Amino acid sequence: MSTLPLPLLRAPWLTSRRTRSLARLAKGAAGVVVLLAAWQISVPLVGLGPYFYPAPSDVIAAFGDLIRKGILPAYLGDSVARYVTGLTAGASLGIALGVLIGLNRRASLMLSPLLKFLFAIVEVAWIPIFVVWFGYGVKTIVLALVYVVFFPVLYNTLLGVRTAPQLLVNAVRSLGASRLQALRLVILPSALPGIITGLRVGAGFAFRGLVFAEIVAAKSGIGYLIFEGTESHQTARTIVGMIVMGLLWLGIDQFYLRPLERATIQRWGLTVDAEQRT
Amino acid sequence: MLRLPLAATGVILAALLLYLVLGAMGAERKLAALEPLPPGRADYRITLAFPPERFHQLLLQDQGRLTGVHGNVVDLKDVEPKALRDIARHYWVRAVERGSAP
Repeated sequence: MSTLPLPLLRAPWLTSRRTRSLARLAKGAAGVVVLLAAWQISVPLVGLGPYFYPAPSDVIAAFGDLIRKGILPAYLGDSVARYVTGLTAGASLGIALGVLIGLNRRASLMLSPLLKFLFAIVEVAWIPIFVVWFGYGVKTIVLALVYVVFFPVLYNTLLGVRTAPQLLVNAVRSLGASRLQALRLVILPSALPGIITGLRVGAGFAFRGLVFAEIVAAKSGIGYLIFEGTESHQTARTIVGMIVMGLLWLGIDQFYLRPLERATIQRWGLTVDAEQRT
Repeated sequence: MLRLPLAATGVILAALLLYLVLGAMGAERKLAALEPLPPGRADYRITLAFPPERFHQLLLQDQGRLTGVHGNVVDLKDVEPKALRDIARHYWVRAVERGSAP
């Protein structure tokens, strides 16, 4: 029996990038289907009511109900708006202060002890006092998110600014560049991988912070939906909230954070995406 | 490099725009029988597609004085015309009628 030459066995479409990502997607979907099937089968076996152990069909029904009643779109919109506002404000503040502390020794001496002290106080401890000052609602949640995002962005920006190659800074300065030009041309591009890392870490922290802040200090949002579901004995709604939260994070990671990381860090060969390694 | 985030943002904005346009068209249709709306505050009966939950009651309370709930119908008093248009934009609002005088 004759054997086919290797190039014919390995058709190009089999190894194309799109095919591989489709295969990866299909495997992921198969995992989800298996989990859902096992969940549905286990419901009559476990024998608990929908309050303790709702079936996937209950969750799908609750999802449809929340859409029909306009609750899920409104809560999702509120959560996304708070997340984007908190992330943007926290990141802007962290980058600005990180650059300032990284470049100015006096500012570093003045602010470092205070920042280290504040870093030790987790956002959870701040939320009650924010509620006292600003009441329940958007201000408290956004402030909590700003606080959560601020520190990882600040410390990573600081690290990036301090590790900027001094040789290059000296080189552009000796060629007549002003301090601002040195910052723009050398320091900030060198610090960018650090800033992006801080942003990614901060974005993850902010997501967890959002759920917690909405549970404690909001009357809307996905975090509130998760909390309200159990309060009103509608556990299926709680699970819908959890699933939406997970999907939202996957979307943010897939469509924003990963491409941003690829466009900055990986472009300069500083790190390799975990999936590319496998 | 950043085509994916831009495309995702474009899709989200387009969906949001479509939602707003459809909502505005829905409001026009629901309020057609009431036009022209009185310039000041007035009372209305808001009919939903289902019995209102706490979420709907809180939202309607922001726009007027909620005085009663009967099945799918909510009685709302002292509603500004702009607030009424905001209410009618929601797809879960089935109909809006003029309410009885206090």
